[in-house]
Amino acid sequence: MTPPTCHWVRSVLTAYLDGELKPSTAQAVRRHLEHCQSCSEHAKQLEQAWETLDTLHAPPVRPGFTERMMARIVEEKDLEALEERLRPDRRLRQIVAAVSGLAAGLVLGLAAYTWTGLTAEPASPVEREVCRNVAFLEDADLVDEMAVIEAMDRLSGKSIAEDGV
Amino acid sequence: MAKAIAAVVGALQHGGSLSAATDYDVSLMLAFQKGNELAFQELVERNHTRVIGLVYRFIGDSADAEDLAQEVFLRIYRARLTYKPTAKFSTWMFRITANVSLNALRSRASRRDDVSIDQMADVHEGPRAIPDPESRMPDEHMHQEELRTKVREAIHTLPEKQQIAVVLNKYEGMSYADIARTIGCSTMAVKSLLARARDNLKDRLLLYLRTGRGRQRIA
Repeated sequence: MTPPTCHWVRSVLTAYLDGELKPSTAQAVRRHLEHCQSCSEHAKQLEQAWETLDTLHAPPVRPGFTERMMARIVEEKDLEALEERLRPDRRLRQIVAAVSGLAAGLVLGLAAYTWTGLTAEPASPVEREVCRNVAFLEDADLVDEMAVIEAMDRLSGKSIAEDGV
Repeated sequence: MAKAIAAVVGALQHGGSLSAATDYDVSLMLAFQKGNELAFQELVERNHTRVIGLVYRFIGDSADAEDLAQEVFLRIYRARLTYKPTAKFSTWMFRITANVSLNALRSRASRRDDVSIDQMADVHEGPRAIPDPESRMPDEHMHQEELRTKVREAIHTLPEKQQIAVVLNKYEGMSYADIARTIGCSTMAVKSLLARARDNLKDRLLLYLRTGRGRQRIA
């Protein structure tokens, strides 16, 4: 087995000091530290720095923390209750949402209906006939039936008078 | 009070999940979820010293530690309806503690950024801003306080995840696997975080180790 390098040993040194290495790996690190002064010094400094952290003692806890905490919970409950009271009734909100949706749908439908010009319903039998044969009539060279011409103009929104006829 | 809690906890332990049966705090949380407020009170009573200690190690200010610990328990209280016992209670509680503490540190840092340039100039000219670990302080208490300040600074200059890993490992004695569950990463990642953190701490506290002050306090 190849002996571990200093670089590898330093990469696992913290886990070694924390006892988080597999026994075989820990054994390899231990052997390296026995012979390598530089890594051994590095390990010592890591440990010393870690132990220095012990100086940061937790502060003494003031008596009565639980009581103060439960008093804060009472305040929290009061706030929750107030929020609940201020919030509109859920059923009412659902009804308002449904009515709003319906109204919006109606308005949109009406607008679309007006915009697409569907109000120009063919009124007379001639107009209905023109609508049915509109493709043929558009391609016809000459439409000489006056009633048909008038019906086509009416449907396209023009009047004979506008054309000066 | 104890009898009432014991009855609810006992019922939960018989019909509850595995973690509820093995973690008394999880049982208390589940009892609280079912409406037993005394269970919450006992949770606070059992855990507040650890939470305050942990917050203090994160923020380094004992005056704020209690307020922030209250914030931690308030979050636990608010999470009562959505809580699921998927891990040890302490893992969940420490995650909340770390979040609350680091949020406080962030807002403190942003408040510091708001300090005017004039004020900053004053601070930099002040004697406390010039580190002089070689200077002789006659008072032993001053030595200890200085060392504590340096340790606090060394921890606070670490990246956030390294801070969490250090605090949980050093002061809560948590294993790499438990830390990984708390911060939501792999055990390998924790190994790497702690290796880098301890290297950083060594570099930052080296002066104290060389002068023997740190060693003197350790001994």
